[in-house]
Amino acid sequence: MNPTDIIRAIQENIARVIKGKPHVIEMSLVALLARGHLLLEDVPGVGKTTLAHSLARSLDCSFKRIQFTSDLLPSDIVGVSIFNRQKQAFEFMPGPIFANIVLADEINRTTPKTQSSLLEAMSEAQISFDNKTYPLNQPFMVIATQNPAEYHGTFPLPESQLDRFLMRLRIGYPSPEEEKKVLDRPQSLHPAETLQPLLTTQDVLRLQEQVDHVLMEESITDYLLAIVQNTRQSDLLSLGVSTRGALALSRAAKALSLVRGRTYCLPDDIKELAPIVLSHRIMVARMQGLHQRSFEQAERIIQDLVDSIPVPV
Amino acid sequence: MPFDQALRFASIWLASTSFIGLTLGAGLPEWLAALTGAALIVALLRNRGGKSVERLATYAPISDVGWNLLVIVGFLGFWVDMLWVSGELLSAGIHFLMILMIIKLFNLKHRRDYLHLYAISLVAILASGSLTADLWYLPIFLLYLLAGVWTLLLFQLTKHPEETRMLATSVSIRPQPPASVNQVTPQLFWFANGLALATFGLTLVIFFTIPRVSAGFYQKGFGENIRTSGFSETVNLGEIGPIKRDPSVVMRVELSDGSPHETGRLYLRGVAFDQYDGKAWTNRLNYRRSVSEDATGTFVLRGSRSPAPDRLGETIRQTIVLEPLDTPVLFAAPLIERVSGKFPSIQSDLTGSVYLPFPSSSRIEYSVLSRSNPVLPADLGSEPSRYPESFVRHFLQIPAQPERIAILAKEITHAQRTTYDKANAIQSYLTHNFRYSLDAPLTEQDRPLEDFLFTRKTGYCEHYATAMVIMLRTIGVPARLVTGFLAAEWNEYGNYYVVRQQDAHAWVEVHLPHSGWITMDPTPPSIESIGGGSPAWHALGRMMDTIRLQWSRFFVQYSAADQLAVVRELKAGGTSARNKVFDSMTALFSPFMAMLGGIKEYASKETMLSLAEVLGPVLIGLAVFLWLGIKRPWVKGMTRKKTTYDQQIIAQLYRRMISHLARKGVPKLTAMPPLELVRLTQERWSDASSSVASITELYCRTRFGRIPPTREELALAEDHLRYLMALDKP
Repeated sequence: MNPTDIIRAIQENIARVIKGKPHVIEMSLVALLARGHLLLEDVPGVGKTTLAHSLARSLDCSFKRIQFTSDLLPSDIVGVSIFNRQKQAFEFMPGPIFANIVLADEINRTTPKTQSSLLEAMSEAQISFDNKTYPLNQPFMVIATQNPAEYHGTFPLPESQLDRFLMRLRIGYPSPEEEKKVLDRPQSLHPAETLQPLLTTQDVLRLQEQVDHVLMEESITDYLLAIVQNTRQSDLLSLGVSTRGALALSRAAKALSLVRGRTYCLPDDIKELAPIVLSHRIMVARMQGLHQRSFEQAERIIQDLVDSIPVPV
Repeated sequence: MPFDQALRFASIWLASTSFIGLTLGAGLPEWLAALTGAALIVALLRNRGGKSVERLATYAPISDVGWNLLVIVGFLGFWVDMLWVSGELLSAGIHFLMILMIIKLFNLKHRRDYLHLYAISLVAILASGSLTADLWYLPIFLLYLLAGVWTLLLFQLTKHPEETRMLATSVSIRPQPPASVNQVTPQLFWFANGLALATFGLTLVIFFTIPRVSAGFYQKGFGENIRTSGFSETVNLGEIGPIKRDPSVVMRVELSDGSPHETGRLYLRGVAFDQYDGKAWTNRLNYRRSVSEDATGTFVLRGSRSPAPDRLGETIRQTIVLEPLDTPVLFAAPLIERVSGKFPSIQSDLTGSVYLPFPSSSRIEYSVLSRSNPVLPADLGSEPSRYPESFVRHFLQIPAQPERIAILAKEITHAQRTTYDKANAIQSYLTHNFRYSLDAPLTEQDRPLEDFLFTRKTGYCEHYATAMVIMLRTIGVPARLVTGFLAAEWNEYGNYYVVRQQDAHAWVEVHLPHSGWITMDPTPPSIESIGGGSPAWHALGRMMDTIRLQWSRFFVQYSAADQLAVVRELKAGGTSARNKVFDSMTALFSPFMAMLGGIKEYASKETMLSLAEVLGPVLIGLAVFLWLGIKRPWVKGMTRKKTTYDQQIIAQLYRRMISHLARKGVPKLTAMPPLELVRLTQERWSDASSSVASITELYCRTRFGRIPPTREELALAEDHLRYLMALDKP
């Protein structure tokens, strides 16, 4: 089976659970194939956890969920050393982060110390404990969620840490028809549990490798850089996109090309991905209309910016 | 090649052409020519993208202010040049122009700099055009025209991206102009060249039809007349010698029957001299009368005197193209009867020489009918007769000479009875007993004639002729010295004699009682030939000379009267005008045809070797040039992608599709990526969307995926486009 068909099959698989959100499913696959992590920012109860769960199920990956609370400690994520009486030695008990797909629910509810331990693991793909280094499982993907509706008792992630996420997505409410289908489903079983795995972890790694071989033509790279440069010079933004952001956009575009069954990138890929890959990496200079939430504003600014940059022909 | 690089290249080419034209036309000083050439080469190398050269250029210690200062210094230099060095406005201006060109070549930054360079080149090519009427100007001008068309075309083509770029800088940092659009495609290449050729063709038509003003304004000062010797009122003995090694062409002579004279050589008579004072010859009979012109514009010299039928000698009809000389003498075979040409008037003196009123400053063409005097039977048997007083005074005059010359003359001729035999005896004595040499004594000698006859016994034509005249006169035979040219070099391609300075000659005219003046030449045929070299080279030289002559005849000398004639004939509806143009063309190119024939001939002969000598290096050079052009070792390591022909085709299809969509109300904005356009088409014009999608897919795959399209795909895309064009939007 060629990559395109595999990916389409996975999409269809997940779509059986997450109704009416093909775009979100596609983007989460992009994040997976680009070796990135996903930040879902939406109100509770729209299927964030289900998305992560069904993705993990479809891929035959291990899946762990960590509910972040204000009293969560780094060791609750990474793991602890426990004294083994038989061996008369401390033994490392791996925490929930030792899984292929980790759902970090409500990541902004925990203390910065705990947040940073997770984010460190995300970028290094390994953890250090008691002077020992433990590599994490591969593939490794963190799907973090944030609730934008309430800010009381939260520790918002700083931009430097948000930078570690490949993209920020919103799921949004399903349409009434789709919602009806969800309600019509038998409620006894969690829908994600019904999914059959289609891929092994090895297959996922192979697909990730294929992303590296997607061709990005020079003019498209220039187009990407023009976008990035413009965020740095825009008057509306006080912080532009970092080089890591440019790299992320490039990787995401390649992954999206693969997902769409191409071996080369198009300007369309860049243009489509720019808002969701870049918007959480920038700082809006001044709040223009406080009624709007900042991330929506950032997305709108990026979208306007992209709409003004000539596309290579 | 991208447009902007092509523009730079074409601009430098333009400048180079005008520079070459000026160098050939005006004779720049060596240092200036070398400097300009170097500047052009450096500019060319910079354009080639030589990294090291570019670095060198950026390190150049001269700032903008420095360049401006240089211009000012150059301008001051121009005044110094004009007032003291060359002393002329034109040449000083040309030197200044070259300085400006050099400075501009190092400062090609903005578009206006290019315009300045074009202006300088234009002035340069115009200057070189006004300074010359030579053949080489034609290829140079053609090249200039070609380069001009290219630069103007590219200048216009590069204008648009640059302007839009200025507008776009506010939003984007590095907008990449689409590579496939701004390339010099094969179609464009041939289109531009065709355009240049068409321009040239049009110019040719204009040349033949539009009236023109007269010769170049500055032509007089520069086109120096060729300095000759031997044709003034007084000629020192030995004056001709120094010019006998000068190969510059003086005239070209065509004979009426198109084949060389039966003796192979043709005497072209200039001036006759009667008086010898021991060192120099003087023409005392120099009183010039105007020659009357008959109705057809022909000047008849001996018209009053109609010779008896038995005296009719050999007639020679010649057409002579005379270069501008410093003497007003008209040369022709002896003795001149009729002259026709575009002269207001001509004059003749008593010795039968023909003159213009003043030396012509331009090339002139005239035809002459000459008739030489045959030796009549009456002279073969008769005794020396008595001559009238005027004859004795002029043609029997002898300077104070030692006796031994007269004794020698008597010794040689004592066995002969008739005047003719005596003359023949002296001629053969001189021919056989003396050695021809150009290393002859100088004119400063006291008694050059005695020295020649008794001491050195070597000399050249003047010595031989003088000796013969004086010896004849001592024995009472009237004789005179004639100077002119002895044409021997036959050009088989154009069928004419080429006469050079080195063919200058002096010979003798002897008066026989019944026959009149007959031509005799005591000088033995010269053994010294014109340099070495293989016959192939000489053939090539003769061929070039032919083309030069035709060029001069049909283009440079083409006058308002000729134009009028063409117009008249066109009006008359005759085909003769066309034939005339055709004739000019065939005349111009016939040497090539002859050369082709000649090559065949050579191939059969054993001159293959010498031909190989010439062709070998040329072929090797060509091969190296081609190899460099294809391999381009200087771009080694640069992985420049090459857009293939198929890629250009699909890009073109895509562009046509976009413009068609825009006409139909589905415009592609600059910030709209390809697939978005497909979606937009789907929304606004759903019938077209499938075709648009398939063309877009192929284009994207080719352009961004670098996957070359197959022939079938291309054909399919073309079909889609055709379908799209035919489709009506609801």
